[in-house]
Amino acid sequence: MKNDKKLSLWEKYLTREIGIEFKACLYFFAILFFYCVYRVCSGHYDAQILHLAEMILTCYVIGYIQVYLFANFDEADKLGGKEIAGIIVCTCIYCLVSYFGNWFDKNIPVTEGLAAYLLVTYFCVFLIYRSKRRIDDKQLNEELRLFQTKHKKVPDEGK
Amino acid sequence: MNIDIKQISEGEESIVIRYRELTPTLNRIIGILNNGDNKLWGKSDGENCSVSLDEILYLETVDDKLFVYTGDKVVRIEGSLSSFMSGVSDDSFFRCSKSMIINLNHVSALRSLSSNRIDATLENGEHIMISRRFASDFRKLLRGYKQDEK
Repeated sequence: MKNDKKLSLWEKYLTREIGIEFKACLYFFAILFFYCVYRVCSGHYDAQILHLAEMILTCYVIGYIQVYLFANFDEADKLGGKEIAGIIVCTCIYCLVSYFGNWFDKNIPVTEGLAAYLLVTYFCVFLIYRSKRRIDDKQLNEELRLFQTKHKKVPDEGK
Repeated sequence: MNIDIKQISEGEESIVIRYRELTPTLNRIIGILNNGDNKLWGKSDGENCSVSLDEILYLETVDDKLFVYTGDKVVRIEGSLSSFMSGVSDDSFFRCSKSMIINLNHVSALRSLSSNRIDATLENGEHIMISRRFASDFRKLLRGYKQDEK
């Protein structure tokens, strides 16, 4: 195998970094939506820049925790113990930061609502990635059959 | 090694090989003589045997030794995965990880996994992982054939 096909350390790092950037943006927008709904419901039509900065920073940090400590649980093949632990730990960190950062005026029920919202978000992201892989499965198998037909080695029906 | 070539005017043509040790070169010569450009020669359970390329499910290196797996036997052959790939013109063989080559004609199903890996289920039910590093080339190989069809 030629060495040029081997991923360099830089390329591996960049691939992970792009993944973390994507996650940070995804979860930042999810939390921002929750924050905006809270602000509107509590009669405020503005958002604090400090809160937004804290949110994006927290999302980045948790992105790193998610990828490096919890094996990227939202993209996992199945939800096992480690993945569920990751979801709970990350949700708790978000809630603690939101509480001490005063995002929701230290309102406990709203912070609990954020926890529930994040759990649902994580689960939805997991389902979305799983659906994407299933569609990919179909495409791969279709391409495989076509490849085998070209080589006149189509397996028996039912195999 | 002495090479003795004689032209005969009548009688059956024959080739006799006398050897002290069966080397990879001799194996290759025997393979060619058996009309076996598509055959590999090696040892299984201490005995010399041949494997047709069509029979091969996958090849694997273990401790720098190369093994060929078919549905019912494991044959140790000389050489490396790289030399096998360079000697075989059949596109059905794909280097799917640092230590393995699979025969796509014996793959019954593919499953996309996280981190852009692919799980290949062989006809005998074994699962082979196509690593992230090779998955991209694997997709290109399959899609290349799909484009030819259009």
